[in-house]
Amino acid sequence: MTRVLEVKGMKKYFGGIRAVDGVDFHVNQGEILGIIGPNGCGKSTLFNCILGQLTPTDGEVLLDGRPVTGLYPSQLNRLGVSRTFQLLQVFPTLSVRENLILAGQEHEGTKLSRLFGASDAGLTAEANRMIAFFKLEHLADQKAGGLSYGQQKLLDAAMAFMAGPKLVLLDEPAGGVNLTMLANLKDRLEAINREQGATFVVIEHNMDFVMSLCSRVVVMAEGKVLAEGTPAEVRADPAVVEAYLGH
Amino acid sequence: MDQFLQLLIAGIATGAIYALAAIGFTLVWQTSQTINFAQGEFVMLPAILALAARDLLGLPFWAALILATAAFLLLFGLGFKRFLVDPMLKHGVLPLAIATMALSILMKEGAKDGYSAQAAQFPSLVPEGMVTILGATVSSRDIAVFVVAIAAIVALQFFVTRTRLGRTMQATAQNPTVARILGVRVERMILLTFLINAGLAALASYLISPIYLAKFSNGEFIGLAAFIAAIVGGFNQVRGALAGGFIVGLVDNLAAAYVSSAYRTAVPLALLVVFILFKPEGLLGRREERTV
Repeated sequence: MTRVLEVKGMKKYFGGIRAVDGVDFHVNQGEILGIIGPNGCGKSTLFNCILGQLTPTDGEVLLDGRPVTGLYPSQLNRLGVSRTFQLLQVFPTLSVRENLILAGQEHEGTKLSRLFGASDAGLTAEANRMIAFFKLEHLADQKAGGLSYGQQKLLDAAMAFMAGPKLVLLDEPAGGVNLTMLANLKDRLEAINREQGATFVVIEHNMDFVMSLCSRVVVMAEGKVLAEGTPAEVRADPAVVEAYLGH
Repeated sequence: MDQFLQLLIAGIATGAIYALAAIGFTLVWQTSQTINFAQGEFVMLPAILALAARDLLGLPFWAALILATAAFLLLFGLGFKRFLVDPMLKHGVLPLAIATMALSILMKEGAKDGYSAQAAQFPSLVPEGMVTILGATVSSRDIAVFVVAIAAIVALQFFVTRTRLGRTMQATAQNPTVARILGVRVERMILLTFLINAGLAALASYLISPIYLAKFSNGEFIGLAAFIAAIVGGFNQVRGALAGGFIVGLVDNLAAAYVSSAYRTAVPLALLVVFILFKPEGLLGRREERTV
C-alpha cells in the first residue's frame, strides 16, 4: 500500500514545553485516518507542523516519499495538500460557487492566464460538481456569509476537496455542528472517500464521529502517540481508556 | 425649484468625486488597515503635478497629464505602500495613521513650495456649457463629471465582483491568512489596491480641479469630505462609500445655498457627529468583526 503522507520523529518544543514529542505516523492511499486525544495533547500543533504553519523543532514530513518538511502552506497546497480550519474560514462576501473557484484557481494556469484568462479559471464545472456532491445546489449563488454554520462547514469541506487534492487534512470538522448536519457531513465524507478514493486525515474531539468514520485511528496524549489501530482496537486499549477517563 | 435642481445636480457631481476618493480610502483600509489621512492631498496633488509638468517642462497638456498620472501612481501607489505603509504598519495602526498625517503636510507644503501658493486654472477635461433639463439650466460640466465618475465606479465594481483578480482581491481583504494558504499572492493584491486608490485619486483630482481651481490647500476639504463620506456610508463597503459621497456632496451644496456659505463645511461635520453617535457602522456598513 502506498503511503501518501509519512511523519517521522516529529518534535515541537515551545521553550521547555514539549507540545509534540516524537510522533511517527503515516497515511495510506485511500484511507481515512483519525487523530484523537484529550485537549492540549498536541494534535493541533502536530497539524500545524505538518502543514508548514509552524517550524518543527525536529522531524521529517514526506509526501509521496519526498521530503516536504518546512515548505510554506501555499507550496504544500500546490503539491496537493489542502486543509480545513477549526474556525470557519470561508469568504463571506463571495458566493458559494465563487468560494469553490477561489479554492482551486491558484492550482491552475500561468501568470498570463491569471490576468487575462477566463474569470472562472475554467473551474465552474468542477465547482458545480462539488456543489452537487455536497448537496449545496440551492445555495450555489448565495453569499457564503449568509449560510448557517453547518452549511458553511460543508462548504469549507467542499473547498478542501476542490481541484483533486492528494491529501486533505480536516481540523475538527464536527465542532459546533448539529446532529443532522453532522450525519450529513459524515455521509458526504464517506462518499467522497469511497467514490473518488480521496485520502484524508481528521483531527477530532468527537469520539463517535471519528470512530464511525475512520478506518484507522492514532491516539495522542502529552505530545506522544499513545495507541494506534482500528477504532475497535484503540477503544479496547487500557492506556487509551485511562488517558480519556482518568485514573 | 430651478435653483434647487441646479444645486441637486451640482451636489451629485461633487458627491461623485467625493465618492471616488472615499472608495479608494475604504479599499486601502480593507486590505491593509491603513487609514490614509493624506487622502485629500492624494486628490489635490495629481492636478498640481500635471500643471507643473506643463509649465516647468513645457509639455503639451495631454502629455503633462499622462506624465503626472504615471508619476503619481509610481510615487503614491507603489511608493506609498513600500516606503510608508509597509514599514509603519509593523508598529501598529495608530503610528501608521500619524505617519499619513505627516505625509499630508509634506504633500501640501511640497505643492506650495514646489509649484505655487496661488490657485491655478485647471483646464476642464469635459465640455463646458449649459444645458436645460426639466426647465432648469444646469452646467454640462456637472453632468459630464457625474457620468465619468460613475463610469469609473461601475468599472471598478465590475472588476471586483466579476473577474478572477477582483475575486482574489476580495478574498485578500476578508481573510489574508487563508487566501495566502490557497496560493493567492496577498502582497501583490494589496499593492493592486494601492494602485487603484492612486488611480481613483488622480481621476478625482482631474475632475474636481476645474471646478475649485488647483490649489495646494484643496486636500483639506476634499480629505474631510471623503472621510465623512466613508464614515456615513460605512467604512467597509464600496457601495457605502458611494452613497456617503453623494450624501456629503448634496448636503455640502444645499447647505451652502440654504444655510450659510460660511457654515458650508460645518454641516457635513455635524452629519459626521450624528453618525458616530447613533450609527457608527454607517448606512450600509457591517459591524467590524476581526479575529485576533
